[in-house]
Amino acid sequence: MTLVRTLIAFISLSLLLLLSGTSNAGPPVPAISEVSGTIHGGEARVHFNLQNAFTPEMVEALKSGIEITFKTTVEVDRVYRNWFNRAMGKVEYTRSVRYEALSGVYRLHRNDGDELLPDVLGALERMTRFEVVVPVTGDVEKGKPYRARVRAKLDKVGLSEPLRSIFFFSSLWDVETDWARGDLKTP
Amino acid sequence: MTAPPVGQHSPSPGTEPAKRRRERWAIGIVALLVAVLTFFEAHLAAVGGAVTFSSNIIIFALINLNVIFVVLLIFLVTRNVFKILLDRRRNLLGAKLRSRLVLIFICFSLIPTMLLFIAATNITTTSIKSWIGGRVGQALTGAIEMARERLEEEARALAPAAERAAAGVSDTVDPASFPRVLKSARSLAPAGTGLLFFEKGVEVARDGDLPPKVGAEILTRVKGMKEAADGKGSGTLIADEFAAAWRRTPGGVIVVAVRPLAPADAARIREIAKAYDEYHQVRLLDDPIRASYIGILILITLLIVFAASWMGIYLARQITVPVQLLAEGTEEVARGNLDVSLDYRSSDEFGTLVASFNRMTADLKAMKGNLEETNASLTRTYDELRRRTQFIETILHSISTGVIVIDRHGRIGMINKVAERLLRIPTDGAVGRMYRDVLREEHYEAIRSLYREAGEAAKGQVERQVELVVGEKRIAFRVSLTALRDDAGEYMGLVAAFDDLSQAMRLQRVLAWREVARRIAHDIRNPLTPIQLSTERMRRKYAAAHAEDPVFAECTQAILSEVNTLKHLVDEFTRFARMPVPRLEEGDLPMEIRTVVDSYRTSHPGILWEFRQEGPPRVWFDPFQIRRAVTNLLDNAAAALGERGSVMVTVAHDEAAGKVRIDVADDGPGIPPWDRDRLFEPYFSRREGGTGLGLAIVSAIANDHGGTVRMRDNTPRGAVFEMEFPARPPAKGSIGSAAPGIDDGRRGS
Repeated sequence: MTLVRTLIAFISLSLLLLLSGTSNAGPPVPAISEVSGTIHGGEARVHFNLQNAFTPEMVEALKSGIEITFKTTVEVDRVYRNWFNRAMGKVEYTRSVRYEALSGVYRLHRNDGDELLPDVLGALERMTRFEVVVPVTGDVEKGKPYRARVRAKLDKVGLSEPLRSIFFFSSLWDVETDWARGDLKTP
Repeated sequence: MTAPPVGQHSPSPGTEPAKRRRERWAIGIVALLVAVLTFFEAHLAAVGGAVTFSSNIIIFALINLNVIFVVLLIFLVTRNVFKILLDRRRNLLGAKLRSRLVLIFICFSLIPTMLLFIAATNITTTSIKSWIGGRVGQALTGAIEMARERLEEEARALAPAAERAAAGVSDTVDPASFPRVLKSARSLAPAGTGLLFFEKGVEVARDGDLPPKVGAEILTRVKGMKEAADGKGSGTLIADEFAAAWRRTPGGVIVVAVRPLAPADAARIREIAKAYDEYHQVRLLDDPIRASYIGILILITLLIVFAASWMGIYLARQITVPVQLLAEGTEEVARGNLDVSLDYRSSDEFGTLVASFNRMTADLKAMKGNLEETNASLTRTYDELRRRTQFIETILHSISTGVIVIDRHGRIGMINKVAERLLRIPTDGAVGRMYRDVLREEHYEAIRSLYREAGEAAKGQVERQVELVVGEKRIAFRVSLTALRDDAGEYMGLVAAFDDLSQAMRLQRVLAWREVARRIAHDIRNPLTPIQLSTERMRRKYAAAHAEDPVFAECTQAILSEVNTLKHLVDEFTRFARMPVPRLEEGDLPMEIRTVVDSYRTSHPGILWEFRQEGPPRVWFDPFQIRRAVTNLLDNAAAALGERGSVMVTVAHDEAAGKVRIDVADDGPGIPPWDRDRLFEPYFSRREGGTGLGLAIVSAIANDHGGTVRMRDNTPRGAVFEMEFPARPPAKGSIGSAAPGIDDGRRGS
């Protein structure tokens, strides 16, 4: 039994070292930046940018016709200094992009319709700059602090049918940002 | 049931280093495996190249699964293998068979599985490489280019119609002029062409049968075009469902001539585009795909190996467990435990075998019970028979008659010690042998002769006196032969009884000698006194007349001397013939003997007289007769030694036997063998002038005391006379009634 315990301990230690070694190396961390906006008249208009969301591998995949979809979650809260914040609204917003080889354009799909873009840079720019309108409940008091919280994550990767059968239970990339916060102005 | 403890090991100084060495080997092997796995994972990471490895969940999951299974496999297989090896080393039953089976299973599963894995990996890699090879890519690129060219060509063909329609439209779309514009444009457009008019991003008019999707798609595409926004542009639009040409009017109206593709063409173009996308995706992800396939193959391989190993261990256990149980059960049965019942149930042959074993042990137990009962009964019968046989043997050994029982086949069935001693038969192994082989030829012939006579006799019994040579002497026997027959008259064998008549004959001779001595004493004593008186008278009366003649004096003196001799002889004969009945009284025997010995020290100073006493002195004896017997023995010793030598007289008391023994040992010339038979007979003397009655009187006294006297050789030289008689008086009437104890020395020698 001593031998067995020794073997288990050795293998466990090796696995820990192996996993820690594989998880350290990686691309820049995706993040939400420049969260800002206004809240007025029953809605909040939130602006933010998605940084480092597209790795070079994802750009290459995009050029190869793989559809990439990001889902962003935007929450608007009324901020109280000495009390719990009050949620005023929440929107989940998806945006995807896909290259059409036949016509040579990038099709950007948003909630409000599609947009065709001729080059990848334009497509990436459109995929990373957001202006989201969040319907809010309750009265908006001027001069009071309001805050938007934003998070984005890679929702799905549109592989072709044969590849979906291979990678059916996982996504190729795991992109998810932390929550980013920004104050909203009350004009 | 519990397995018998076999080969329990205790740690010893010699085995500890070997154990540590084994541990180091095991750790080294596992470390090597982990290193190989690490390298493999790193290799997979390098293969993964095009995508971020750390985020590749499938590879990560596969690797972890592989590692988990490898660890599990190592743990299970190693544990079982070590256990099997340990059992094998402990010589546990079934361990060798189990280890052999497991090894065979592992080998037979591992080798083909590994070959299959290698082949499948190569095939997968080759297939992916061939799929993403240049030719396929070129073909797909060419196909998509051809489709694009065709659509562009069609779109360009629509440009005149779009231009004509745009020329007819002023700054705004005028419904009044619309029919004229349409008519003019149709004349330039191929059949099936539709016209769309967009103003400020909104479709304001259309002509032709166009699917709704086409209009929305064209609007989306037009919106995305920079040229459409700045007011100077014209161009074409292509998609997998249509080809279109557009023209912007100076007033900002965009006119689009659209021609939808035929459904078959549209489907074909979509297939081409789909294949093109798949190709590029596969090319992009070829390494992860390959890694995924390899990972799956590894997983399957490990699962197969694991399953095969586990199955091998399971099957080996299925085989060896009942075998081990049977072996242990057999061991228990061999140790005599018939309560063994193997707890193993199965529908296969082993189950049948175990059930048969249990049934066999139950039957054996029942049979053992029956056998034990039978054995107990036989033991009781045997004990009874043995008791009876011992009783018979005791009787046979107690009687003075030699008995030989011979069965119908001529084998000796029983023989007592008296017969063995009388006929000088070897004491070991006579029973069961043919009596012809055991007896001397003369004895055998004597019995055969008597057997024939017995067969002729009416009662099958015959009794004869025969003389047989035993040793160097001829001994008279009374032989009684009786043929044994069962109730049916069948011959069963014969019983031969031998009685030694030499004792009785010697006694008869002694009694005859006593009678002779009495008559001689009577007949000779009477004339001796007148002869003596007459001779003395003659000497007194005629001595003076014949003083000058010496013959007279010599003759008369000779007569007187011989008369005295005869009187002395007559006295001896009288004493021998009239031995009185001993008057036993309890006395100090050693003191009496010592007194006699002391007197001889004085009369024979040249001889060393020694006396030794062993045991208590008080015994019952006739002092007068014992002194006389000892005196006779000492006289003989002194006569044999002359005036030099030593005599040892020992008085010993054997309390266990209840007898007292008087030994007179001298270191004289001894008694030659040919004189020993007649040594105790009357009128046998080896001395000149001896009467030959000394030892006869000793023998008579010993007999009268209920004992015996015998002679044997002294060591290193000389003779020993042993007189033995009971220390206490026997029952009344037995004195003198015992068989004459004249032992000629054969008994003790």
